[in-house]
Amino acid sequence: METRKQKDETGVAVTETRGVDVARLERELSAMWRENVEESEGTAAGEAGVTRVCVANLIVFAPPVEGRDGIDALLEEVTAHTPCRAVVLLADADADAAALDAYVSTRCQPGPRGAKQICGEQVTIEAAGRAVENLATAVEPLLVPDIPTFLWWKDIPHYEDKLFARLVELSDRVVIDSASFDHPLPDLRRVARLVGEHPRLALSDLNWGRLTTWRNLLAGFWDVADYREHLDRLDTVEIEYTRPAAAPDQTAAQALLLAGWLASRLGWELAAAERYSPANVEAETFRLSAAGREFTLSLRAVEGAGEESSITVREVRFARVGGEAEFHTRMSRDQTKLETGARVGGAQSVGRVVSYEARTEGERLSREMALLARDRIYEEAVAAVVRIIESPRGS
Amino acid sequence: MSATTLDNPLRAGIRLERTTEPCVVVIFGATGDLTKRKLIPALYRLVQERLVPAEFAVVGASRTEMSHEEFRARMRDAVAQFAEGGIGDEQVWNSFAEKLHYATLDIGTAEHYGPLAELLTRIDAERGTQGNRLFYLSTAPSLYSEAVAQLGRAGLARSERGWVRVIVEKPFGTDLESARQLNREIHQHLDERQIYRIDHYLGKETVQNLLVFRFANGIYEPLWNRQYIDHVQITNAETVGVEGRGGYYEKAGVVRDMLQNHVFQVLSLVAMEPPASLDAEAVRDEKIKAMTAARPFTPERVRADCVRGQYGAGAINGQGVPGYREEEGVAPDSATETFAMLTMYFDNWRWSGVPFYLRSGKRLAKRVTEIAIQFKSAPHQLFGQEMMEQVTPNQLVIRIQPDEGITLRVAAKVPGQVTRIRDVNMDFRYGASFGVKLAEAYERLIFDCLLGDPTLYARTDMTERGWELVMPILEEWAATKSDAPFPNYEAGTWGPRASDDLLEKAGRHWRRP
Repeated sequence: METRKQKDETGVAVTETRGVDVARLERELSAMWRENVEESEGTAAGEAGVTRVCVANLIVFAPPVEGRDGIDALLEEVTAHTPCRAVVLLADADADAAALDAYVSTRCQPGPRGAKQICGEQVTIEAAGRAVENLATAVEPLLVPDIPTFLWWKDIPHYEDKLFARLVELSDRVVIDSASFDHPLPDLRRVARLVGEHPRLALSDLNWGRLTTWRNLLAGFWDVADYREHLDRLDTVEIEYTRPAAAPDQTAAQALLLAGWLASRLGWELAAAERYSPANVEAETFRLSAAGREFTLSLRAVEGAGEESSITVREVRFARVGGEAEFHTRMSRDQTKLETGARVGGAQSVGRVVSYEARTEGERLSREMALLARDRIYEEAVAAVVRIIESPRGS
Repeated sequence: MSATTLDNPLRAGIRLERTTEPCVVVIFGATGDLTKRKLIPALYRLVQERLVPAEFAVVGASRTEMSHEEFRARMRDAVAQFAEGGIGDEQVWNSFAEKLHYATLDIGTAEHYGPLAELLTRIDAERGTQGNRLFYLSTAPSLYSEAVAQLGRAGLARSERGWVRVIVEKPFGTDLESARQLNREIHQHLDERQIYRIDHYLGKETVQNLLVFRFANGIYEPLWNRQYIDHVQITNAETVGVEGRGGYYEKAGVVRDMLQNHVFQVLSLVAMEPPASLDAEAVRDEKIKAMTAARPFTPERVRADCVRGQYGAGAINGQGVPGYREEEGVAPDSATETFAMLTMYFDNWRWSGVPFYLRSGKRLAKRVTEIAIQFKSAPHQLFGQEMMEQVTPNQLVIRIQPDEGITLRVAAKVPGQVTRIRDVNMDFRYGASFGVKLAEAYERLIFDCLLGDPTLYARTDMTERGWELVMPILEEWAATKSDAPFPNYEAGTWGPRASDDLLEKAGRHWRRP
């Protein structure tokens, strides 16, 4: 058995013991906690000991290419916001030899001004070859009872995968990130199917979380009584986005989700598809209708510096013909701010600039871990965009 | 949530935050301390959090002559100094600063309200604020009535197309009669639904969590009564003295300053029955029902169940501090109480016979506000006296500030071959479990007012009931002020010995927070 202790420059203390089998992990963790407490009691005044906190189980599934370092860094952020028991699964199903190896560690964040450190714990399991198939059976006994369990599937969901299915059964909520989809539309279709087939499954999409500020600002226009009537009389809706790094020849998942959200909330249906071609996504234009009134939705790819960024939507515009009303929300070039503007008739434009907080993946994951119920608005958005964009192709 | 947000199909979905309707916030007393320390930082935070719309503006109003630009510069300094995150992004600040305006206004001068009305009309046209107004009276309390009357006479207490709300700061009156008089005068121009009497304690996260804790958990409410609870302690302790406000404090004292408003609000949340809904009026109805059941104080009860105190010189955090009578603006023979302890009873089925011990004071050992629910001992001492000697009855402590959280003290076996029992704490701390910064009380309360939600504001009947309850205490203490053995506690302690003695006579003792 090999034990390693370290404290990085941010003050995060990590104690690791490797080479133990899964059944002994709990005992090893208990020993580590005792050691942490004993160590903290011996520290100088001001470092007031440790508090073990566990508000959730977090199962992280990552393909071998992810590597431990990135996940460890991310879990440090998660612990800071949501102390939990993390069970990290690094699986290489293609390996020839079956192997199962595990590590345990405690992860402590210094408390403010000498307050107790807040500590979570982590179990990392590396599985290879056929051992991957039975990985879920190693996970279940490690989950702390009576607290919510989240599965962060850090890969494109393999819906037919037995492991995925088992882990979904163990979880109260599954977190995915559609920004990593290499075929956003077909992958969203699979998400829609997954949700439809698992009525108890609560699904989170980090990419949907990135749109929350956008949705809030766009909805904000129609909170204003003087603007509200224009929502039902729009002539054009334009969504501009930069091409996603994961799928440079595809429509960005964020643009699709935003279009789906508008369509589902506002009852949009397809009137006619003027043009749709996944191979040429400069501008896809859809003729839609709602309450018997037709209008145009455009999804337009624009050049931008943010291609590697997880924020791909650049601007959303709503307009009525003849300049009667125009509303827009636009991302700044440096992607730190959103600017809004509303102009009705001849009045001057009323707008504002608000910060767009670029959250890290860990922060976004923590926010998702505050939620348990199904996000029906997301589910309906996915279903709507799949329905609208796929309809002409199937007809 | 306001009617317009309900009418907005894009607002559906719990993950979208509530935002307010377009409006103008007018701050009377815009050059005062509260404006720069709390109000503008809170409003800027709401802007940063995107909780107010673009169609939003702030007008500072005060007697000082000042341009809009000067006001913006002052408020920028205030935000830089007092807002937790400072200015943050310059463009976001600039966008907010454009919405800041200033009006020179003497509250008592009727001619000043015409230009204010014109400014508000212009802002409505330019910024789309739709005639909605929130007037924040951050002025001397003696001006509240005059300010409302002037607003009424100028036609500003009503809006042709929007709403008008008025936030009134504490203190709301100085005694029962003045509170009633103030209510009468304000009601001449405003409906009760327009009046928001602020008590910043109600904006604190843990106070709000009291409702959730009591009524969202199935396990506590069945125990929340005379059958299981021995007594309740509410401690509201400050380490600071009068901080240069000796003149004000001499006329106030801790009962007027803290107990009859903040502590009573907290008390009512502990003692109330479950409301039928979370509707503001339903919650406030239950709070006043509980306070109506509070047993009135008679002179005899004041002498038997209450303790007053005034601090002498002592030390706080190792630093020597002067006694109250040595503070600036304080009479050398002052009889003003800086500490008060009250024993309260509620004459109803739930609380019959259960004492509620309340204490509040300045220059106490530690800054802390907490509620401690002391449960009764187990009915049968199965483990014998020797084993139980280190064990005290179960206690539930709800910490309001600082370090907000909830602790449940339970007995547990000490590991070993023999059975020994010791108290252990089950701890929930906001900071640890949610990892988020708690919103400032003013931020939450102003936001609620903008949304038109008065749940966390005091209603007329509650303010008057608070005064009704404390008036006999104030009168008895005033009548016997020459008997007050002041100073009777050393700064940096937990108040006068008599406060401990009163509990000890009942076989109880104050918890050391």
